[in-house]
Amino acid sequence: MSRLRVAAARERRPLAERVAAACLAASMVGTVGLGATYWLGGQPQLEGGFLFLALAGIGVGIVTWGKYLVPQGPYVQDRPPMASPDPEVEAMNDSLGRGLGQMTRRRFLLRLLGGSVGVFAVVNLFPFLRSLGPLPGKSLFVTNWKKGSRLVTASGRVVTASDLEVGGILTVFPEGFEGAPTNAIDQVVLVRAASYDLVTKPGRETWGPQGYLAFSKVCTHAGCPVGLYQELTQQLLCPCHQSLFDVLTGATPVFGPAPRPLPQLPLYVDPQGGLRSQSGFDEPIGPGFWERGA
Amino acid sequence: MSTLEERAAQAAGFADERLGVARFTRKSLNKIFPDHWSFMLGEIALYSFVVLIFTGVFLTLFFVPSSQQVIYHGSYAPLRGQRMSEAYASTLNISFNVRAGLVMRQIHHWAADVFIAAIVVHLLRIFFTGAFRKPRELNWVIGTTLLILAIVNGFIGYSLPDDLISGTGIRIAFSILLSIPVIGSYLAFFIFGSNFPGTSIIPRFYILHVLILPALIAALIGAHLAIMWHQKHTQYPGPGRTERNVVGIAFWPAYALQAGGFFFITAAVLAALGGLVQINPIWLYGPYVPYKVSYAVQPDWYMGWLDGALRLMPSWEAVFGPTIGGHMIPNVFFPAVLLPGVTFGLLFAWPWIESAVTRDRSEHNLCDRPRERPIRTSVGVGVLMFYIVLFLASATDVLANTFETSLNLVLWTLRVLLFVLPVLSGFVTYLLVREIEHLPAVGVPKTAVEIRRTVDGKFELAGLAPGGAAEEEITELPEEAARAKSGLGLPTEAEGGAVQLRQEGGLL
Amino acid sequence: MKFKHVSGAGVFVFGATMLVAVTAVLVSRSPQLASSVAPTPVPHSVKRAVVYTNPPARLIPEGKALFAEDCETCHGPQAQGSSRAPNLQGLGAATVDFWVSTGRMPLADPTEQAFVKSPVLNRTQQLAVSAYVASLAPGGPAIPSVNLGATNISRGESLFAEDCAACHTITGVGDALANNVYAPSLYPATPTQIAEAIRTGPGNMPRFGPGTLSNQEVGDIVRYVTYLQHPNDRGGLGLGHVGPVAEGFVAILIGLGSLLVAGYWIGGRAG
Repeated sequence: MSRLRVAAARERRPLAERVAAACLAASMVGTVGLGATYWLGGQPQLEGGFLFLALAGIGVGIVTWGKYLVPQGPYVQDRPPMASPDPEVEAMNDSLGRGLGQMTRRRFLLRLLGGSVGVFAVVNLFPFLRSLGPLPGKSLFVTNWKKGSRLVTASGRVVTASDLEVGGILTVFPEGFEGAPTNAIDQVVLVRAASYDLVTKPGRETWGPQGYLAFSKVCTHAGCPVGLYQELTQQLLCPCHQSLFDVLTGATPVFGPAPRPLPQLPLYVDPQGGLRSQSGFDEPIGPGFWERGA
Repeated sequence: MSTLEERAAQAAGFADERLGVARFTRKSLNKIFPDHWSFMLGEIALYSFVVLIFTGVFLTLFFVPSSQQVIYHGSYAPLRGQRMSEAYASTLNISFNVRAGLVMRQIHHWAADVFIAAIVVHLLRIFFTGAFRKPRELNWVIGTTLLILAIVNGFIGYSLPDDLISGTGIRIAFSILLSIPVIGSYLAFFIFGSNFPGTSIIPRFYILHVLILPALIAALIGAHLAIMWHQKHTQYPGPGRTERNVVGIAFWPAYALQAGGFFFITAAVLAALGGLVQINPIWLYGPYVPYKVSYAVQPDWYMGWLDGALRLMPSWEAVFGPTIGGHMIPNVFFPAVLLPGVTFGLLFAWPWIESAVTRDRSEHNLCDRPRERPIRTSVGVGVLMFYIVLFLASATDVLANTFETSLNLVLWTLRVLLFVLPVLSGFVTYLLVREIEHLPAVGVPKTAVEIRRTVDGKFELAGLAPGGAAEEEITELPEEAARAKSGLGLPTEAEGGAVQLRQEGGLL
Repeated sequence: MKFKHVSGAGVFVFGATMLVAVTAVLVSRSPQLASSVAPTPVPHSVKRAVVYTNPPARLIPEGKALFAEDCETCHGPQAQGSSRAPNLQGLGAATVDFWVSTGRMPLADPTEQAFVKSPVLNRTQQLAVSAYVASLAPGGPAIPSVNLGATNISRGESLFAEDCAACHTITGVGDALANNVYAPSLYPATPTQIAEAIRTGPGNMPRFGPGTLSNQEVGDIVRYVTYLQHPNDRGGLGLGHVGPVAEGFVAILIGLGSLLVAGYWIGGRAG
């Protein structure tokens, strides 16, 4: 070490010690503050601030200590290669081989052991998985919308043909299944796009009475509720991944990742003026799955 | 009154007589750690995990993992009288009524975000310096597994409060499970216990989040550290640093004090964030109801690349007509199952891919400088850029809103950039690296020099100023040096050919 | 080295000072000490939540003059519309009042979505224009005024999440929709403007008529939106209420960033 560095070190050490001491003392102040805040009923910002002071005081204090007040070397240490010397490896292989050799003399037992463990794993795996949940069965293909289902709001109010103004939107359910927290499949977005009967696609001539169009609210991409209605452009937008569906052409996707139109629910107006479904959906709602096919 | 040293010796003696730990303890205390700022990144992750455990245990005392519907009568007026799950109601209770509950919840959430961020930068450091090479491939695999587990546990934890935004995230997770070919619908129903949403997912997520995944993470962190300890840390090349030695500070006490201090500093930063910056204010999001939704639904940042991939994916899906069985591989399978599968598959395999390409099977303990490996560095930068674009894509709506431009424009721009930027940035990196690779001055620390003007007006170099790196004296720890001199050290250190090693050490 | 030593301690002192300062500011502004504890009374008063009144007829002449000056070029002399602007007849005073009082009309550039700016007309002039247009043809809602005391904030939250959050986001901050359309932030809106927007569906916003939302329900939503304008940010800085995007940037840049600085200090050689 040069004379300059020695002199600098002599000057520095007391300073580092003073800094470390100040930090540790600040920590105590912080902890006391934290305790007092807590005692008085708590306040998130004060709690966070005091906790910071308490922890940072200790942290900076002992780092200062460990960095400036104890020798830093640099020190050197040998690093042997990871692999063991050859005789050790040979000895290990001898022992491994000895045991295996003793076992393979009973080849029949060895096979039977493999078989019994295998059978145990396979046979027990199925009931374990199966107890976790029911088989999907047909539940991904159906909803609770039936022929003649009345459209009701989440609170159960019956929706009539005079309820929505042109440009209006409402989330509806089949009567009897409204708004239950465990019901995600029946939600339908009802929009009124015009004041006359609307045809979205050939074959859907009677589905849109008085401009009312109803689509499954479950996005065909990843299943989010398609809740955004851009009224002037007549488009429904999914908030999760921005799939855009054109309402007037049967909710055909026009932008974003959704691969399929939102299934349309055929509607009619009953003699009392209430809106009802002509039938259920003609295809599975929501995101795709293996068994769905086209 | 005995001195502190005497009492410590007494305690150590007690332990040694029963466990025979003297040799192990001595070697551990005398362990040398290379010091460099880039070796501190994994420590940030480790300490964040410790903070997660502490705050998480606190939260378990108050959180109720149940989808049971209750009517809220708590102190937050804008939700009073509403139906919500017990999970959500208890999270409101933690946020408003449990003393210090909100600050703990926020520290927990910030710690999770920082935990995974630290893992990612740690992984990048390992990658770009080649520290995954033999003999460290196993630790690379463990580390990558830890990253996956951290992301999964982060997502599950984010989902537990059952608020409107996280509930929408669970809905997407169900659709992703559903998209897996052949087994998708069974898997989704078995994990959720029914069709979405059901009432089982919150309690099942809970036990995964607080027991199974943390136990796995803790066990793997233990293995990660034990292997690192056993193999000894890598170091950068430099004067006196060789493949067969470690140069740095001693574990006891310098490293122990510094690392211990860093734990407190990490906890302090997280506490400051937790107290001062609001994160996930679930009371503003409302309870999850399957037919309600908010716009600007983003997952936490570490899921951003998957969300971005879902958004950028064109509207394709594979449909096999009824003639061949009538099956479908849905759109979300490609970005949300295939992409992470390939990502982590390649990540796991990288050490072997690289050694197959370079045909290098030897042991490496000196880190590469990124400039010394132009191909690895440029491939790494390009791939990283791919994920950065995906990450940005999860905020298409926020970007469009912030910069007052069209969402469609943002999306299409990112779709193009996803392929252009990685190639471009990789290529530019390659050129840059080749450019600086052979420059002699790159990476050499600058040192002050003294220049004097002589009487006849010329300049002359007066010599190096003090503090130059060349002056560094590297020694063995005094006790180890003494052992070596007395002959005690050699026989015990002899395993693994220490003799041959010492000859190499002659470089010093 | 000496420099690094000083920087480590300096960072601590600076950080602690900043923290105390930020904490003090946050605590002094923190509303939850009082507001979160006091329960909101659910009023059973006979007062109605929303009352609709047409502006006084005496303002019609003034409105006609203003309309001729500022609106007629696009909307036509009888507000019957043109190729450049929609027909306003029969839309009611609320529609006109919303567009004019939020400063969206008169429009600066007819091809873009109208945005909020400070209104060109004063309040009387706004009412006058509304009165004039409403006098041209019957129909459409009159100008609503909301009696916040007769509303239920919790019911408002529930309805807001169902009908409004999908576009305006659950915190009301707004966001970009497809095709260059955006849902504006609700923070600058007055109670009357919120009710007007719900009833008239300006621009791309859907219309929520009396068959969809009752007047009481409109009032409840307005109450919740006024709460969102000053929400309970009990957790500290609100980060603009845009959710995980802002949080991620803070976690990476400030959280990890400051720890990297600390690591740079600790990992460097003391010399």
